[in-house]
Amino acid sequence: MSTIPQEVLDIAEGIRSMRIRGAGKIARSAAEALRIAAEKYQGEREPSVFRRYMAKVADTLIETRPTAVSLPNAVMYVMQAVFRQTSDFDELRRGVVDAANRFIEDSLNAVKRIAEFGSKRIRENSVILTHCHSTAAVSVITEAYKQGRVVKVYSTETRPFYQGRITTRQLLENGVPVVQIPDSAVRYIMHEVDQVVIGADTITSNGAVVNKVGTSQVALAAHEARVRVFVAAETYKFSPMTVIGELVPIEFRDPTEVVPREWLEKHKNVRVLNPSFDVTPPEYVDAIITEVGVIPPQAAIMVLTERLGWAIDKIKQAGLTKLRFEDLVED
Amino acid sequence: MSELSKHGFAPRATGSELLMDLLNESLKVAGGRDCRGLVRFLKEKYLLYARERPGSAGLFNTIRSILNYIRENGCTGVREFVEGFRDRYDKALWAASEVMAKRVVDGDVVMTNSNSVAVRRLFEILVRNKVKFSVYVLESRPGMEGLVLADYLDKLGVETYLVVDSAARFFMKNVDKVVSGAEAVAVNGAIVSKVGTSLMALAASEARVRFFAIAPTLKISLETIYGELVKLPEGDWRLLMDEETRRAMPEKYTARAPLYDVTPPNMVDGIATELGLYPPQSIPILVKTIYGTYPPQLKPLDTLFAELLGGG
Repeated sequence: MSTIPQEVLDIAEGIRSMRIRGAGKIARSAAEALRIAAEKYQGEREPSVFRRYMAKVADTLIETRPTAVSLPNAVMYVMQAVFRQTSDFDELRRGVVDAANRFIEDSLNAVKRIAEFGSKRIRENSVILTHCHSTAAVSVITEAYKQGRVVKVYSTETRPFYQGRITTRQLLENGVPVVQIPDSAVRYIMHEVDQVVIGADTITSNGAVVNKVGTSQVALAAHEARVRVFVAAETYKFSPMTVIGELVPIEFRDPTEVVPREWLEKHKNVRVLNPSFDVTPPEYVDAIITEVGVIPPQAAIMVLTERLGWAIDKIKQAGLTKLRFEDLVED
Repeated sequence: MSELSKHGFAPRATGSELLMDLLNESLKVAGGRDCRGLVRFLKEKYLLYARERPGSAGLFNTIRSILNYIRENGCTGVREFVEGFRDRYDKALWAASEVMAKRVVDGDVVMTNSNSVAVRRLFEILVRNKVKFSVYVLESRPGMEGLVLADYLDKLGVETYLVVDSAARFFMKNVDKVVSGAEAVAVNGAIVSKVGTSLMALAASEARVRFFAIAPTLKISLETIYGELVKLPEGDWRLLMDEETRRAMPEKYTARAPLYDVTPPNMVDGIATELGLYPPQSIPILVKTIYGTYPPQLKPLDTLFAELLGGG
């Protein structure tokens, strides 16, 4: 069998070592790696042999970051083309390259389209609240501001890491008037707010939004005040694993992100718990804005079956943890 | 703790601590026979609190009580009055915490924020009564007084979990009861407390976790009977970071850091006072019990000062 090109291995290593970071970049790099692998394939011009080779590349890529959602999504999107029924090798290879290119292009355009769709949902003279930092959310807000509909933005600090300061900085660079508030002031400020715009780390099959801790109480306070909540998320953030009931793991990070080490050592009866994410139930989300359109959160399952239906079938058969593309190849 | 000051760690005196300071200082000023000096001192404090702690009802009620005493009795016995007042407040605070302590049972997980004296006393009573409990403490920005409370709980030997303010809803499903102190209680039973309290109460209400406030009746804001809103002071970026961090931020960076928020009565299951556990809607009954009539006859503090200081 043909060996995996060095360029592809370099990308895999880049993802593993976190030189390549961010959900979008990881996904595009993985698709690119698959494209390169297909283009540089030197082996037998026989679909089943080619499939076996591509499956090996796919497995290598997926193993680099087992918990990220965007990575398997990108790989599955491209692999769908690899497993298409055809006996024509050239056609098969062309299909794979096209799928990879389409994924990369869609992903690059996604934020632009999300900004375009999302900005339409912002009404005149809006005061917007956002939590943490999301490129998609910042783009929606900036686009709506350019269209003259945003008066002010409240951005939460987002402890422990203060990603809200990044949001504030970016919005200021885009000329958008923004005021930072502590996370505790979300309900206090909510009566001034017209709309909440946030990003997402993962969207589950039932439309729940997994995002930076605090998001769910922002949404709760918005819901109480009848303020609309919009989630800006590319479709590669939708998790096919959740279709088979898998829970999205919530990472607990180091306590020293919250208090200094000396403080911890002095207080032996105190444990600092530092969850990264929380889960916002779909009933607190008015719409999810994706690059394929605005959907109610309950339609997340449709995005998943439309975009990743093939992958979901395979996951149903094998379970994601055991899913190896090599096992899917039939001779 | 220079590392912490980078994050704006700067605990403020709690309402009860300020109140005790006010009474102790009043005793010093009232040392001689000079009653006018005391009134002038109280006026200075009144103007200061109106600026910096406009929400701290206990302070204004205390000033009003001392002025009313002087108005009715002159200067005779004012020292004894203030001393008695101080002891009564201290007892009331303990009694309110005792009432709350009865609602915490073995195995309970309690969530709280900030660093209220009443809540500290609750924990002290529970430890004394050998109740087994654990506590989730919110960091409580701005100020991060949650760290001071966690330090206090650590010394009491209580199993404590310190979490960021954003994680209140995340952990709420592990919690049995939420408890907060109070800067003021409005006549409709709304609780003015450290900012974030209302968000914590909302998360509790959503999860059907009971929310209690501990507040001696001195914290009932009588002005709210006549429609006054409790004023809520705000700070800026200085409460959220140090100068060096600010310099690294864009020049146009601005921040609003509210210090208090209002928890509406529908999210409050009970207010623990020295007279017992009251539903928030029953504050008028409490006021009538204490002041004899409802609404109570209330002279504005400005009028009282003008009367006693002769227009000055």
